Amino acid sequence: MKVSFDWLKEFVDVTVSPQEVAHRLTMAGLEIEGMEIVGSDVVFEVNVTPNRPDCLSILGIAREVAAVFGLPLKMPDMVVKGVQTESTVTVEIADSDLCNRYTGRSILGVTIGDSPQWLKNRLEKCGIRSLNNNIIDITNYVLLELGHPLHAFDEDKLHGRKIRIAKAGHNRSITTLDGADRELSYDMLLIWDGKDPVAVAGVMGGEGSSVNSDTRNIFLESAYFEPTSVRRTSKALGLKTESSYRFERGTDIIFLENALNRAALLIEQTGGGNIHQIVDAYPEKYVERPVEIAYDRINSLLGTALNKAEILETLQRVGVRTEDRGEKCIAIAPPYRRDIREYYDILEEVARIYGFDRIPARIPKTALSDGILNSKEVSVGRIKETVRKTGFTEVINYSFMNGTDLELLSIPAGDSRRSHIEVMNPLRQEDSLMRTTLLPSLLNNFRYNLSRGTRDIRLFEISKIFVDEGGQLPKEKLMLGGIFFRENMPSVWKDETPSFFTAKGTVDCIFDEMKIKGQSYEPSSEAFLHRGKSADIVLDSVRIGFIGELAPVVVEKLDLKISKPEIVVFEMDLDKFLSLAPDKLTYVQIPRYPAVERDIAIVLDEDISSAKVMSDLSAYISGFIEGVELFDHYKGKNIPQGKKSLAYRITYRASDRTLTDSEVEDVHARLVDYILQKTGGQLRA
Amino acid sequence: MDELLSPEQLLSSLTQIEEAFRSDIAKVATLADLQQVRAKYSGKKGLVTAKMKALSSVPDPVQKKEFGRRINELKNFVEDSLKGRELLLKEGEQERRLLTEKIDITLPGKSVQFGRTHPINQVLSEIKDIFVSMGFGIEDGPEVELDHYNFEALNIPRDHPARDMQDTFYISDDVVLRTHTSPVQVRVMEKTKPPLKIIAPGKVYRCDADVSHTAMFHQVEGLMVDTDVSFGDLKGVLELFIRSFFGKDTPVRFRPSYFPFTEPSAEVDIGCVFCKGAGCRVCKTTGWLEVLGSGLVNPRVFEMTGYDPARYSGFAFGMGVERMTMLKYSIDDIRLFYENDLRFLRQF
Ligand SMILES: [Zn+2]
Repeated sequence: MKVSFDWLKEFVDVTVSPQEVAHRLTMAGLEIEGMEIVGSDVVFEVNVTPNRPDCLSILGIAREVAAVFGLPLKMPDMVVKGVQTESTVTVEIADSDLCNRYTGRSILGVTIGDSPQWLKNRLEKCGIRSLNNNIIDITNYVLLELGHPLHAFDEDKLHGRKIRIAKAGHNRSITTLDGADRELSYDMLLIWDGKDPVAVAGVMGGEGSSVNSDTRNIFLESAYFEPTSVRRTSKALGLKTESSYRFERGTDIIFLENALNRAALLIEQTGGGNIHQIVDAYPEKYVERPVEIAYDRINSLLGTALNKAEILETLQRVGVRTEDRGEKCIAIAPPYRRDIREYYDILEEVARIYGFDRIPARIPKTALSDGILNSKEVSVGRIKETVRKTGFTEVINYSFMNGTDLELLSIPAGDSRRSHIEVMNPLRQEDSLMRTTLLPSLLNNFRYNLSRGTRDIRLFEISKIFVDEGGQLPKEKLMLGGIFFRENMPSVWKDETPSFFTAKGTVDCIFDEMKIKGQSYEPSSEAFLHRGKSADIVLDSVRIGFIGELAPVVVEKLDLKISKPEIVVFEMDLDKFLSLAPDKLTYVQIPRYPAVERDIAIVLDEDISSAKVMSDLSAYISGFIEGVELFDHYKGKNIPQGKKSLAYRITYRASDRTLTDSEVEDVHARLVDYILQKTGGQLRA
Repeated sequence: MDELLSPEQLLSSLTQIEEAFRSDIAKVATLADLQQVRAKYSGKKGLVTAKMKALSSVPDPVQKKEFGRRINELKNFVEDSLKGRELLLKEGEQERRLLTEKIDITLPGKSVQFGRTHPINQVLSEIKDIFVSMGFGIEDGPEVELDHYNFEALNIPRDHPARDMQDTFYISDDVVLRTHTSPVQVRVMEKTKPPLKIIAPGKVYRCDADVSHTAMFHQVEGLMVDTDVSFGDLKGVLELFIRSFFGKDTPVRFRPSYFPFTEPSAEVDIGCVFCKGAGCRVCKTTGWLEVLGSGLVNPRVFEMTGYDPARYSGFAFGMGVERMTMLKYSIDDIRLFYENDLRFLRQF
């Protein structure tokens, strides 16, 4: 909200600079976000928080200035003097729960015209354009000055010179001042004349009864509308006005009469006319709400040592009446401070006027919290570090995706990734679904970087996905996703490892780091992966993820403008993964006797997987075999077509003695026979 | 043979051997040469060895003693010289070999190229570490949240103007993408008895996007509840945090503000890191930058979670991690965090 410093000074005799006023207001909770010099005046941009509708005016800001600097407040003339003729309009409130008070005055025989320049200037400084209509300008002026919204009707257009405040009821619509036809719903509060609706209460007047240049007689309204009702109506109509903004936050039911008088006097002053008596329908009287608070409670909650007099004086400054009752006081807030309802509201007033900066800081004496060692946090941190140290850079993506992402990946119907939830009001249609997989975002990151010339793109993300499993809230699962692409990196030191295996190495590193053993890689049925170069990651018979090269058909759709890129992607369910991690690690004794190593190279059908051979070797029962390690994989020269050679190093050891050569030879020979028979292979010559 | 020589002759023959040895060893250039000299003098059939053998045939005990002493002297001299020479030769030889094995030490190392952690998560870790060191536990909560936890239980009823403070993404009338990490406060209070000292880091969502807003960002929420927690404690903890994070001379100020779930509420400002308080575009010439929202927990929130507000008090705070990161690294566009351009990410 914009506030003219000159205007402010009409209400309070502040002698310090605008900068000092701005600083002190800011430190009392009225943040001055900006200051602009306009001619000889300074205009403040004030950020008024939703709990302080009383500050949405010059008067409101002036009250704060007066409180902060301990100055008296000066009020403008708000009394209509002399004896006035009786009102020509009758007022009836049908829904008194939504309209607690309605006042008005007829002003007959006014001259509609331009507003005086000083008034126009003030409106303009505060961001409101003059409409070359003194009546409307004055209602706006008083709104800015005193914070109370007013509405002027053309009294001659009010059917039967009647005002009735009632809900819309059935099937009603109204054309508002802005010329728009508005659909009304049953509970919306309207102002009616003897026949039709003439305004949406507290939001906007109707076109039919509006003031224009031909208007001679006006009826000026100043009322109190129930905040929630105004807010609902304004939201439902999508119509936010200066009036609705104030009514929905709460206005001053007592002071509204003064605002009416102030406007009437200004109209009389600029446009002549005859002010009639006030009509005042006031069915729901304002009730004060005394709050009780103990002085030591204030000090213990703030960490201060204020004495009774200091507290009482501070409260009086902000217009709160107090009654001292020994250990405690009774505080009664003024009607414009409906936000003060509980003891902690009083506490806040004391704190902000006394000054937050004067409250001494202290380091709390308090018990430690349990749960400092959040084990999941620690585990995820280790996984993240592991992936990072194998060369992947972390990305963070929005949690959104869209339907075409799943189409691109040919995710089948019935797959859990199709059980997504949808945002009702997305910013962009492309961002309307919550992610059920991290893959689409990673593909976007990949394309983004590729198109900017980067050729080493190794990215990972650890984020939650959201799967609709029928509950009120979706299931949130923590996932790890990665994408790997390196195009012939110019390097002195060549690395010929195929992309699949480098990326798979990262996955294996995670298992190793987390001391989880027994993972296996089984052919994957993911449609978006290369059928020959992809695997499901399986642990304890549970599928926890996948890794593989993107299928050529997917790569083609990505339209990357590079030929045959090898793009490897992986995704793992970290919640499942971590649930299978051992919770305790136990030390194993270091061997005391030496080991003996023997190698074996087998030529066998290339369709037999190395994992199969490994598991056969590991299954061979001997108390001496300590470890089996694959150290060579070869196809090509000297190996027949359709065959491959696998070489393993077997480590033999006994825990209680040094093995003799003949013992080792014996068991190794039997192992060789066993594995050749098991695999149908032959020893490599 | 030797036994025919007189003692004088014997002694002079030793002198001759010594001289010959001196001349031979002076000519030695390689380890192979040295081997020959060693064989010639101290080998099994060497000249010095032969003299040792001849000693036994000297009849006169006095002469024998004198003769033995001289031979020993010669033998020690020869062996020390050979050893010394060998050492020198070996050093030289190794030197030559090392020279032939020389590499270009300016070639790049074959390093494992580590990836980087996203700057948001680096800063998040730093924030977590500071609070964990102050005894705060870390809690997590759902990102897709019930309206009840995101708003109602935080004293933001459905028709309250405070709802305008946050543009909300809705999944349904009752389910939202959480607009702040504050609902974790409520969830933790519902399942845990005080005292309580927690932070809740995580993603939050707002239906809003421009240079300074993204539809998703990160927050860290904090909550401390005990029997005697005051506004002074709030100031103490947050000042300590800010000085740990931004440096110990960072100016800090607390200014009254409004949040429905705390009262009194305070915005926490730090002296502008760009202009050092002189006033610039970033701080809108105020010299201050807002970094945290905080306040004493509104007793109404306690009531809704079953804590007794007459017995317990507490404070809560929340900060935007993107904002902290932008201030730390002078980043001027929040969208950079979500473009995930490697040329950006690899700078951190
Ligand atoms: Zn600055």
